[in-house]
Amino acid sequence: MRKVTALCKGASFAALAAAGIAPAHAETRGYVISWFGTATYVKDFKSSCPQNKNGGGAEWMIRDLMSIGYSKAEATKLAEGGEVSGPLRDKLSMRAVVNGKNVSIYNYPDAVPDPDIETVSGKFAYGFDLGGKNEAHKFIDPETGEKVDNQLWRAIGCTASFRAEPPAMPFPEEVSWNAMVETSPGFAIMITAEDFSKDGKVSITLNRVTQHLERDAAGNIMSSASYALDPSPKSHNVLEGELKNGVITITPKDIYLQAEMPFYPEIALRNAHMRMKLKPDGQLEGYWGGYFSRERFSYMITSRPGHGGDSIGIYHAVKKMADASPDPQTGQNEEISSTWRIEAVPAYLSTLDGKIVANAVLPAHPPAQVASADSTK
Amino acid sequence: MNKLMKPTFSTAAAAASVLSGWLLAQDVSAAASAPASANAPLSWRLGPGQYRQTIVEVFGPSISITGRFDPEYRQDGLLTIGARTASISASGVERYDELAENIAAQVVDERNRDTLIPCKPASATASDEACARQFLSAAGRLLYRRALTEEEIAASVKLAGIVSQAKHDFYAGLAGALGNMLLSPNFLYVYKTFEPDPEQNGKLRLDGYSKASVLSFFLWNAPPDDALLSAAENGEIHTKKGLRRQVDRMLASPSLENGVRAFFSDMLGFSEFETLAKDPMFFPRFTPRVIDQAQEQTLRTIVDLLVVRQGDYRDLFTTPDTFLTRSLAALYGIPIVDTTDNGQPERWIPYSFPADDPRAGILSHASFVALHSPSGRSSPTDRGKALREYLLCQAVPSPPADVSFAVVQDTNHPVYRTARERLGAHATDAACSGCHKITDPIGLALENFDSAGGFRTTENGAQIDTSGELNGTKFDGPVGLAKALRSDPALTACVATRAVAYASGRTPRRGDAELKRIQAEFADNRYNFVELLREVALSDALFSVPPQATQLVTAR
Repeated sequence: MRKVTALCKGASFAALAAAGIAPAHAETRGYVISWFGTATYVKDFKSSCPQNKNGGGAEWMIRDLMSIGYSKAEATKLAEGGEVSGPLRDKLSMRAVVNGKNVSIYNYPDAVPDPDIETVSGKFAYGFDLGGKNEAHKFIDPETGEKVDNQLWRAIGCTASFRAEPPAMPFPEEVSWNAMVETSPGFAIMITAEDFSKDGKVSITLNRVTQHLERDAAGNIMSSASYALDPSPKSHNVLEGELKNGVITITPKDIYLQAEMPFYPEIALRNAHMRMKLKPDGQLEGYWGGYFSRERFSYMITSRPGHGGDSIGIYHAVKKMADASPDPQTGQNEEISSTWRIEAVPAYLSTLDGKIVANAVLPAHPPAQVASADSTK
Repeated sequence: MNKLMKPTFSTAAAAASVLSGWLLAQDVSAAASAPASANAPLSWRLGPGQYRQTIVEVFGPSISITGRFDPEYRQDGLLTIGARTASISASGVERYDELAENIAAQVVDERNRDTLIPCKPASATASDEACARQFLSAAGRLLYRRALTEEEIAASVKLAGIVSQAKHDFYAGLAGALGNMLLSPNFLYVYKTFEPDPEQNGKLRLDGYSKASVLSFFLWNAPPDDALLSAAENGEIHTKKGLRRQVDRMLASPSLENGVRAFFSDMLGFSEFETLAKDPMFFPRFTPRVIDQAQEQTLRTIVDLLVVRQGDYRDLFTTPDTFLTRSLAALYGIPIVDTTDNGQPERWIPYSFPADDPRAGILSHASFVALHSPSGRSSPTDRGKALREYLLCQAVPSPPADVSFAVVQDTNHPVYRTARERLGAHATDAACSGCHKITDPIGLALENFDSAGGFRTTENGAQIDTSGELNGTKFDGPVGLAKALRSDPALTACVATRAVAYASGRTPRRGDAELKRIQAEFADNRYNFVELLREVALSDALFSVPPQATQLVTAR
């Protein structure tokens, strides 16, 4: 990279202002989110899930088969023999009964009994203090040591499909993400600071872009690609933040990013918190937290049966663990405290009318090249 | 190929035998008298691009051509010259057989026949001599680049009839006869044929069809169109005025872009992209898409400057103007505004590098710096060698067989952190230093570009020194090199030499008077490349009769 600051300053004052960023002598760096998924913490799995009763896909299938009348031995034989397909699979998924008719359990998860999956009883989870009053629900963040709210992790953390350690993504989210990356528009982050080498105030803007993300030759999301910002205000979020010791945090605020099926229909966090590290390789890495709609989460999980493992068990666990926004009539909490891990790679961002509003900033010293077994001089 | 055709052109192996024997008879006498590049050869094998373009010109772009061709090889710096001595292997004949069968099937397919076949048979389940004759004689004229003889037409019509009757399908017969044509040496090879020159008693001249093919493949990389074949048939092409009219028409045609692209793809060695790869761990932005786009960037830049703007050839090496896609911009580390809708193919966007940018001219394109680098590191030596060989027409010797490259290749060397330092240590070997003196001072100026063409200022944490030298001119950095190259008279002399060689199939001898004249005209025309093409196309050198042609005619 070269002349990054100059280029940005020279080209983008008006656009920065239009995008909600006003500092007169600031530098604006652009990124696109290259990884987004539930923030997992599985180092203490044994102590967090002492019953270890949820098992994986086979165990879930056995439970389902038993729920329609098979003995454990019969269910085990069927599930482990891989014979659960065709009419039997249909029978399993259509076992909910509503108004006397068989309907899909994935459309009517409340019409089948709660499988009562094991939930996390451990001490640690990533997150933020969202103001939850129930001390018994609090986790300790392994990075900050602070008490945090993250009931989503409590609900899903003992399921096999969410037992993933970064850079691995939870399986259902990985499947959705990989399907989405090369088709659906990406999400952009712009960070404006007076001096990125010093502590101080920053401004953060989140937007959708008009193009899908580009992959590089190694299959990762490409650094320093160019994207145009979607001018729709729907996914435009301006946040106040602070840079301290290379970590960016924000003043809590609601955020909304329109997403696409089969990923989350929206990334909507109420009372959103963030902490993101500016890494030496130019990338961002960190966590976003906030209250997430239990319905949105369940929609992602139940819309792709199989990918989410025990979708119905997760649905009921999330419903039980939801800890905010009670429905005035039923008292059911409709939001759940949650934490999400994000990574973002440097990207050039422009407005649709051609102004470069943020630059990709890559490290000054590229990685060492490798010797290859060629015969050239 | 249709089974019923086998008795005529039996199996692919037998076809190979027939083809090889035929070609041997045609070329042996020519090859025996002199090396191909020293004398103008009497035939050449259609290159993949020429084959594809011929099918496009004759049958349209909807005919898909899938499959590989026999490998090409480079001689005297050009694949086009290598094609003059290229044979077809037995496996190659099988591939051509498959291509021919596939193309013929597409032409007669129900989706295409109403457009591509100018008549309808009386019955679709029986032979129809009149319709077969109409189609095969017209298609054959374009495929063979000459009118077919009555014997050739009759044989093709007969073959079509036999197959039609046997299969109760007129179009199967037509496909069989067309496939046979596509496998014929008359299609796969372009022949120069000669006739007595009415202007010079006792001398020979190229016949009109041969002149038409030489011109069209030179300027369009495509077979002659109907107008050019007509000019060959009515003798217009033999008159100075008529020839000039045809050349003017061809230079004004949109097809010229195709010819210019083919010439520079050959001259710049773009066939090497087929085997180009970079280590994705270290050069992740060098994607498969970039490999295709790197060539296209340079070709678009060339066409824009030399054809559209009729600019100075030397400016190719200093121009800030080019075209980029999002993928290329990411590789180069620069922003680009592309508002293409999601999911649409990347657009090519005109782009001008700032005046003080280290990237200018085609030397800074990935098509040069990445093409001439190993997969895991840059190579000043490879780049310097390529510049001398491809752009200055100067030969650089290959390294001795017993030289150790250990230090040069050790990019993690604890002491020699930059390529300059490693080459400095390597070149202390007297056996190496001579050649490195003519390559490395050029290539070191391009060290701001890594193996994939990305920009950098450091290597292993050490600042990169990009000072260099070209034939006594010292400079700093890639832009300095580009300016020095622009001023080197060998640059323009080389492209003129390559143009003559590309058109005629032979490299002109040193001191060749006609080449000198063409080079002088090129200078007088301010290095206008289109004018260079005109000079070559109208040159006596292009249609000269080689001595071996006279010997061949006399012997017969």
